[in-house]
Amino acid sequence: MKKTNLLAILVAALFAACLLAGCASGGDDNPDSGSSGDAFELALITDIGTIDDKSFNQGSWEGLKKYADEFNKTHKYYQPAAKDNTAYLDAIDLAVKGGAKVIVTPGFLFEVPIYLAQDMYPDVKFILLDGSPNDGDWDNGPDFKTGANTVGVTYAEQEAGFLAGYAAVIDGYRNLGFMGGMAVPAVKKFGYGFIQGAEYAGAELGLGAGDIAIRYHYTGDFIATPEIETMSSAWYNDGVEVIFACGGAVGNSVMAAAEKAGMKVIGVDIDQSSESATVITSAMKELAVSVYDCLKDYYAGNFPGGKNITFTAANYGVGLPMSTSKFETFKQSDYDIVFAKLQDGAVDIWGDMRNGADVSVSDIPKSIVIVNEIA
Amino acid sequence: MSTVYFLVQQTMFFSIPLLIVALGGMFSERGGVVNIALEGIMVFGAFAGIVMIDAVQSAGIAINGQLLLLLAILTAAATGVLVSLAHAYASIHMKADQVISGTAINMLAPAFAIFVGRVINTRGTQQVRFEDWFHLEKVPVLGSIPVLGDMLFTNAYITTYLGFFILIAAWALLYKTKFGLRLRACGDHPQAADSAGISVYKMRYAGVMLSGVLAGIGGLVFVIPTSREFNATVSGYGFLALAVLIFGQWKPLRILAAAFFFGLLKAVAAGSSGLPLLKDIALPSYFYKMMPFIMTLIVLAFTSRKSQAPRAAGIPYDKGVR
Repeated sequence: MKKTNLLAILVAALFAACLLAGCASGGDDNPDSGSSGDAFELALITDIGTIDDKSFNQGSWEGLKKYADEFNKTHKYYQPAAKDNTAYLDAIDLAVKGGAKVIVTPGFLFEVPIYLAQDMYPDVKFILLDGSPNDGDWDNGPDFKTGANTVGVTYAEQEAGFLAGYAAVIDGYRNLGFMGGMAVPAVKKFGYGFIQGAEYAGAELGLGAGDIAIRYHYTGDFIATPEIETMSSAWYNDGVEVIFACGGAVGNSVMAAAEKAGMKVIGVDIDQSSESATVITSAMKELAVSVYDCLKDYYAGNFPGGKNITFTAANYGVGLPMSTSKFETFKQSDYDIVFAKLQDGAVDIWGDMRNGADVSVSDIPKSIVIVNEIA
Repeated sequence: MSTVYFLVQQTMFFSIPLLIVALGGMFSERGGVVNIALEGIMVFGAFAGIVMIDAVQSAGIAINGQLLLLLAILTAAATGVLVSLAHAYASIHMKADQVISGTAINMLAPAFAIFVGRVINTRGTQQVRFEDWFHLEKVPVLGSIPVLGDMLFTNAYITTYLGFFILIAAWALLYKTKFGLRLRACGDHPQAADSAGISVYKMRYAGVMLSGVLAGIGGLVFVIPTSREFNATVSGYGFLALAVLIFGQWKPLRILAAAFFFGLLKAVAAGSSGLPLLKDIALPSYFYKMMPFIMTLIVLAFTSRKSQAPRAAGIPYDKGVR
């Protein structure tokens, strides 16, 4: 019996030790709490990921923090306890009680919570990134409503994808891959833009029909798996030179494969060049820019409430991070030229919807590029 | 030929962790304790190992990559033992239902990894990142052997060799030592073993602890080659290892065959869009993904009558029952 007790105590002690060790070092990882006082004027509610997800949350937070630091505003971020509407609303409530005047919510998952919250807290301003508020009733066609205290921000992902595809082909890549996450509108638009950018560059270079190949796949999730690593490795092994990893953590597996194969990756959402030496560029949404701009408008007294704004090349909402890109022949001047064309609207880029109908890969006009869709 | 080499290399990344973890399950079950906690122990092991690697790498300590990997493997193994002790204590001493304590560990593991990950991580994230210092481009000398060198000694990790070493050691331990004989006796007929003067409790503890060591290592071995961060999951490979264990009929060499069969089909399923021939056939990858499970069902249907499952597996040993 004695032995039994000893073991029980040992096991209990082990777990207790783990917990204590955890608490001890946990003091300083609290969200940035700004300058002073208990009220936090600017708040951000994180999406499923964490504040340094190298993606949505981080990008938005950087914009918020930049503004707050420049103009000395108190700011704080809140992590919902779970990934559902109730938890999101609880976090919003917490932020409001914490004195928030403006709440930034990154990610389309906030569409429904903001739809509800904008009526519950009419005095608080909401900035919804990557979506427009609706009641989520997709069976009957959702009720879209952007309140006077809310701005919905979306991005022209197809333009970012276009730039990435264009740059890759001008830089000499001919055998490309697209590894998307879930086939949600944002991911699709990135992919479609990527195809069209490659096609456009091919036409400029005078390539013949079928000179550019793109393998095209949706993994169905935003997580890293050994299957994605193997698929990417197989593509690289079969001649693919660069893969556009378009789906959060999916990029981790693609980068793992690229590092082994000595091949290249194109990142997504934010500048991912620091994640792996294999990342030649990233199709960026300038989240920081849009958050910063909206906050500036708010404090200038002309908050664009009730509107849904699309950030495009025209207002520098999308782009490639040329300073960290690793291109051989594609230069800043080349980038400026094509970027100016997008700003002028000189290129007609298909998104995921056209004339009210869903667009599929086969609908996109292309002749130089051959797309091999992989189920 | 390069396609074949590539496929073998890729198969290793799937097969080796399955092999190691299934061998772990084998020791536990041959000793008479069902261990469905393999998944959870893998998560614990991988978590501890990766945290250790991250700690060394972010502290900027210059250390040989292979040495670091070995240290991480030891960390993972030690963690695995500690976790498996909880299972052993509940199922051997407390005579609890072995499925329940196993399930408890499986449920605890990801939650623990997320919680502790967030708390200890300086960045406050649950994902623990690491850099790949372990990849072997080509092993000197051995990598130059024709065929075999290309298959096993290029684009590899030392974990591959560790897997084969564990296989040989496991086989020898189970069949060629006094310990192995006693362990098997405790799994098949503990009363008889007890009457021969063997401590059934001790043997069962040993079996479960061995499974903890191997499952812990298996978790780390699973994560290292295929990602650059650990996110509190091993994607169900612990459960797959259980299937491998049953498919392999609790015997080391058959487990090897089963692990490679599962691993090969996993690799083909994931890589079919980049492999010549298969690329042109263009079967949906679901087809390959189904195969291991359909085969498991078929094999079980034919062999279940003379299934080699240890007879006393899952039954707590009670001295009073004769």
